[in-house]
Amino acid sequence: MVPLENYLVLSAIVFSLGVYGVLARRNAVLILMSVELMLNAVSLNFVAFAAYLDPDRIAGAIFAIFVITVAAAEVGLALAIVIRLFRNRSTSNVDEAAIMKW
Amino acid sequence: MATEVLWWIFATAIVAASAGVVLSRSIIHSAIFLIGSLAGVGAMYVFLTVEFLALVQFLIYGGAVTVLILLALMLTRMGVTGLPEKVNGPQAPFAALVGVALLSILVYAAAATTWPNNLTDKPFAISIETISEKLFVDYGAPFVIASALLLVALVGAIILARQEEGE
Repeated sequence: MVPLENYLVLSAIVFSLGVYGVLARRNAVLILMSVELMLNAVSLNFVAFAAYLDPDRIAGAIFAIFVITVAAAEVGLALAIVIRLFRNRSTSNVDEAAIMKW
Repeated sequence: MATEVLWWIFATAIVAASAGVVLSRSIIHSAIFLIGSLAGVGAMYVFLTVEFLALVQFLIYGGAVTVLILLALMLTRMGVTGLPEKVNGPQAPFAALVGVALLSILVYAAAATTWPNNLTDKPFAISIETISEKLFVDYGAPFVIASALLLVALVGAIILARQEEGE
């Protein structure tokens, strides 16, 4: 079988790519996609840890289901905000949405 | 042995697709790469013998979430000029630095720790019955709270995105 470290390193790579995407991108939808990458890496970590370390091997799957639920809610709300922003200011660039910046 | 070869193929595909999401110059290409990355993680759930979760991943992430993202892309594009848009800010090199630093810390932590490997001792598949029993009995309260959260979030999304009169 594949050792646990492989899953951890894989999920670390995907998570780091997501962090890079969130910090480097300027389009709000692209930032959202990078957030999805990070959430997925975390879910993979949960399931892998549960499969190797938990006697029941089930808690990780339950956690991942909740992560998916919250991610779906988050995507729906965030895209609504992006569409709202685009309608009001004709841009989905987060650098230009800076009226609350002091 | 065949499982390990397959695992490496899927792992490479996930890393490549994820890199495509954050490095691609076209937003649409990023969305397509995202589907690949999410489907690859679903395949990883099959390797971890949680087939139900893989199914959920394919349906909800590969289907619903990516369609939602593509729809939002369609609604928030300025003009179809065909010119490559500037997708990265001037902070991109620093973002790469943060990403590489985080990756090295995580990989070091994963490699330096000694993990007990239980899976090789007693591998068994997790059935849907087990998951549903756990979810509805042991985790019943979080399940109800999560469903309320989903409902409130989606109603909020509708209110936010609604076209108001006089706008």
